[in-house]
Amino acid sequence: MAEPNVIERLDAAIDAILAGRQEGLALRDPELAALLVIAADLRDVPDPQFKQRLKADLLPGTKEEMMSTTESRLEPGFQTIRAYLVLDGASDFIQFLKDAFGAIENARFKGPGGGKIMHAEMMVGNSKLELGDAPARVSPRPGALHLYLDDIDAVYQRALRAGATSLMGPTDQFYGDREAALRDRWGNSWYIATHLADPSTKPFRKGFRSLTPYLHARGADRLMRFLKEAFGAQAVEEPTVSAQGTIAHAVLQIGDSVIELGEAHGQWQAIPMGIHLFVDDTDAVYERALRAGGKSVRPPTDMPYGERGATVADPFDNQWFIGTPR
Amino acid sequence: MNRRNESDERLRIEAAQKDPSRFAELYEEHFERVYVFVLRRVSDRHVAQDLTADVFHQALANLKRFEWRGAPFAAWLYRIAANEIADHFHRTSRERPAAPPSDVSNGEMAAVEQRALLFRLVDRLPADQRRVVVMRFGEGRSIREVAQQLERSEGAVKQLQWRALQTLRAELGQEHG
Repeated sequence: MAEPNVIERLDAAIDAILAGRQEGLALRDPELAALLVIAADLRDVPDPQFKQRLKADLLPGTKEEMMSTTESRLEPGFQTIRAYLVLDGASDFIQFLKDAFGAIENARFKGPGGGKIMHAEMMVGNSKLELGDAPARVSPRPGALHLYLDDIDAVYQRALRAGATSLMGPTDQFYGDREAALRDRWGNSWYIATHLADPSTKPFRKGFRSLTPYLHARGADRLMRFLKEAFGAQAVEEPTVSAQGTIAHAVLQIGDSVIELGEAHGQWQAIPMGIHLFVDDTDAVYERALRAGGKSVRPPTDMPYGERGATVADPFDNQWFIGTPR
Repeated sequence: MNRRNESDERLRIEAAQKDPSRFAELYEEHFERVYVFVLRRVSDRHVAQDLTADVFHQALANLKRFEWRGAPFAAWLYRIAANEIADHFHRTSRERPAAPPSDVSNGEMAAVEQRALLFRLVDRLPADQRRVVVMRFGEGRSIREVAQQLERSEGAVKQLQWRALQTLRAELGQEHG
C-alpha cells in the first residue's frame, strides 16, 4: 500500500489540476508526475451512462452492455428515489439549477429533431435529479423539493438572482434547520435548508441526502398508508401531528433514500409530481402498487434505456416511475 | 491497422450492413475515438456528447452506403464527425466564426488513439474505482462530495483514486508495451 502522505499529495495535486493550476508545483513531483498526466486527461472522460444510453437509443433492444451499470445500481449511494420533473423549458431550468444551486449536468439527451430535452440528469449537491421537457399534449409535472446545502442565506440570494420568487426568507426553525422557501418559474417549490443542530452531519439532517422529494396531500395519512403498502416504505421517525390531527410532517424510507410528506395547507398545496423509484422487481412492485390503490399508467415494459419500467399513479395523482436496471 | 484486423473490421461492417443490430460491435469499438475526436474540436463535454450522438446516428443511417475501400472505418466516422462539427459551428457562428480544420494529421490520430485508449481502460476499471474517476475527474467533484455520494470515508475515496490511477498507468504501459 502507498504511504498515506503520497496519497494526500496526489490528491492535493489533483485538486490543483481540477482548478486549472496544473502547471504549478504538481507536475514537478517526480513520484506523481506520470499519474498526474493521466489525471489531467481524465477530465474529459465521457459519462458511462451517456455511452450506454446512446447505444440503447441507436439500437433499441440491445441489452447486454446495460449490465455494466447494473452491478453498481444498488450499491450504497445509488439513490433509489429520484424526483423526475417534467417541464416546459427544461434547458432553461437546467441553467437555473446551475445558477441557483451550483448543480452539475450529468447527462442530457435530446429528442428527435434536437429541440426538446427527452431526458436529463443533474447532480444537485450529492443527489441525482432527473427531468425532461413535457412532450406535446402532456402537461408539465413540477414538484416540491427539499434541498440541503451549505450556507442557505447565500443560496437563497443566488436563487432570487436566478429568477426564483421568495415564499419565505431564511429562518431558524425549531427542528434545527435554517430554512427558506422559493418557487421557480417552472412551478417547482423549493424548501432550501442548512441543518445546523448537528454539526457532524451538516448541512444535512441525519439520513437525508441533499435533495428529497416532498409530497403534500389532502389526506397525508392515506398517502403514507399507500406508500407503505405499495413500496414497503417505513417511517424513519414518529410523524409530527398538527393540532388538527393531520400529519404535519413524516419522513419515510424506501430503499436507500427517504421521501417526506405532509398535509397540504395554506401556500403549501399539493403539487402532484413524478418520482423515479428503483426497485429489485418492477413487476412485483407494480402489482403491489395496484393492490394498494394505485392506477396503472403503463404496465411493466422493457424500456430501450436498459430498465424494466412501469408507471403507477397514486390516489393523489403523483406518478411513480418504477424501474429495475437490467 | 494490420491485415488481420482489417479483415476482421470488414467482416464486422458487412455483418452490420446486413443486420443493423450488429452495429453494436462497431459502436463499442469506436465510441471513444469519435468522442475524443469531437471533443478536441469543440472543447465542451455536453456539445461533444450531442455531436457524438449525431455522428453515430448518421453512421447507422448511412451504413448501407459505406463501401469498403481499405481505409479504416474510423476514417469514415471522422469524416461524418467533421461534417457534424462544421454544421455545429455554422449554426453557432455568432459565437465562433470559423470551423476548425476537418483533416486529421497522423499526429492528431495518435493523440486521439491515446486518449480513446485511456477512456476504454476507465470502462474496464473495477466499479468503485470507475465511479470515483467519473465523479472526481469527469464531473470535477471534490473528495468530500464523492465520499458523501458513495457513502464512503474521504480516506477510502482517496485510496480508490490512487488505485485507479495506478491501474490506468500500468495498463497504458502494457498496451503500449
